[in-house]
Amino acid sequence: MTAKNYAENYKGADLLAVAAAREVNDGDIVFAGTGLPMLAIALAQITNAPNAVCIYEAGSIDGRPLDLPASVGDARCATQSSVAAGLTEAFYGQLHSGYVDLAFLGGAEIDKYGNVNTTVVGDYAAPKKRFTGSGGNPDINSFARRTVFIMVQEKRRFKENVDYITSPGWLIPDWPSGEFKPKKEVYGKFFNGGITAVITNMAVFRFDEDGLMYLDTVHPGFTPEQVKDNCEFDLNISRCKGVTEKPTVEEIDLLYNVVDKDGIFLP
Amino acid sequence: MGKINKITLKEAAGLIKDGDMLSFSGFTIWRRPMALIYELVRQGKKDLHLFEVNGGTHTEVLAGAGCVKIWESCWVGHELYGKLGESVARGQVEGSILVEDYSHAQCVARLLAGAYGLPFFPTALSMGTDILNPKYDMLGKAGLRDGSNPKIPLKKYDTIADPMYDMGNILLMPAANANWALIYAQQIGDEGTVRVLAQTYVDVEAIKAADKVIVIAEEIVPDSYLRDDPAMNIAPGYAIDYVVEQPYGAHPTGSQFCYDCDADFIRMFYAASKSADGYKKFADEWIFGVDGFDGYLEKLGANRLLKLKANSVMGYSTTMKRGTR
Repeated sequence: MTAKNYAENYKGADLLAVAAAREVNDGDIVFAGTGLPMLAIALAQITNAPNAVCIYEAGSIDGRPLDLPASVGDARCATQSSVAAGLTEAFYGQLHSGYVDLAFLGGAEIDKYGNVNTTVVGDYAAPKKRFTGSGGNPDINSFARRTVFIMVQEKRRFKENVDYITSPGWLIPDWPSGEFKPKKEVYGKFFNGGITAVITNMAVFRFDEDGLMYLDTVHPGFTPEQVKDNCEFDLNISRCKGVTEKPTVEEIDLLYNVVDKDGIFLP
Repeated sequence: MGKINKITLKEAAGLIKDGDMLSFSGFTIWRRPMALIYELVRQGKKDLHLFEVNGGTHTEVLAGAGCVKIWESCWVGHELYGKLGESVARGQVEGSILVEDYSHAQCVARLLAGAYGLPFFPTALSMGTDILNPKYDMLGKAGLRDGSNPKIPLKKYDTIADPMYDMGNILLMPAANANWALIYAQQIGDEGTVRVLAQTYVDVEAIKAADKVIVIAEEIVPDSYLRDDPAMNIAPGYAIDYVVEQPYGAHPTGSQFCYDCDADFIRMFYAASKSADGYKKFADEWIFGVDGFDGYLEKLGANRLLKLKANSVMGYSTTMKRGTR
């Protein structure tokens, strides 16, 4: 086996996309959101996971876009899809029925249990600021066997408690009582899995047996302490196993010249 | 033989009353009934109750104009061309719009119940989230769940223990049956058979769930053409109440096999929508400052529309510049 030819010049977003692509197992049925998740699944399909397929929530099932879609409802998502249906098929025919192995999603804020907020800043009943809202984030995250979140690393985003739980992590309120319980208890026999990794511009995080986030690898140029300093909660860095694998020259070439050849997400 | 009830955009908007509940075709910035949306703003509609599976540019055009009182949905923005729904956000923060959040698939469940004539539809998606926090039942807090408005359910949702296979708790989502579904479709037959191209989003469900349906069609074609391939169609003519034939009727949102999203226009609108003043300037120029939708198209110009024109094989524009390369 020849040594990998690692790239020396790449941007933060490139590493994010490559690290995310490496989370895809060959044959995975992947449900992806708009943005970097689209780059990750497209790159994975031409590198490590040629048999992975992609579902977008607007209804394209196993599409084979010739041009990178700019959003999940894009006409480009439907090119060469096996089925071009709608949301009922994507959410109930595919997701609720249990087909989805891996979800790629984003978020504005996250806590140590992997609860994600994409809805408001402040109290929901009198918010200071509104984000876009949930979209399909909590749906996909609640039923996929594994979920990978792609986020920006900032202290104000990696919070002790998020202002609003839009998308469920490992310790979540069980309504109507609101008592916090492990996801497995809340979902009962519907439980399939949950959030398994968070990838940011600084590091890769995973979750331990108790559903608590820990540092898995730091990206080249960062230290575990720097990552810890960019979390409001007390991040476990004791399990850090080293530095995130850099992108290869080939992966960067594919990202810029094949996957996003028009420069839509990677200017 | 069926027959369509063909009307103008002005007549279509005139049918919609202040306070009516509306739902829409499309998905974020694709296939929205924009020509009718602009006309609703021109006619100064008030207190509209939007139920939509997701929001987009059309939501923001209505919200910025002060037409919206209640917004029940899960997401609003302009995808890559504008990351937030600024007017809805402003309305929520200021308290002028009552926002009721559900998850995307919970919204679909509500529409499915409405479409199939059921009072509710079960789902196990998005349990354990603050969407279900009773403190955040905004229509309930506003005293609107007292049964006086037949379009507002008595509860935001309910939970039951699965009585059939003991799967655990599951959510029941109330039906959403709007007064009107405003649908943009690429083709409608002269007897009312409806066809949309590529993804169907929730158009089928929105049509079935609503009391009345207005279709803004890119073109009216012979029904026999659509009936030659019935598996491609989404609704029979008897489900459609009114039809407006309006080329480019979804602009600036996209319409597969007709035209792409007008990214520059949506970016311009998004930038304007960040303040009430900015929105007003946009509306003065593009809604009130033109002579109806024909005037709007004339202002856009043929060259701009041609650049958006979809490649007839690929279904989207292959000539417009999309990114930095």
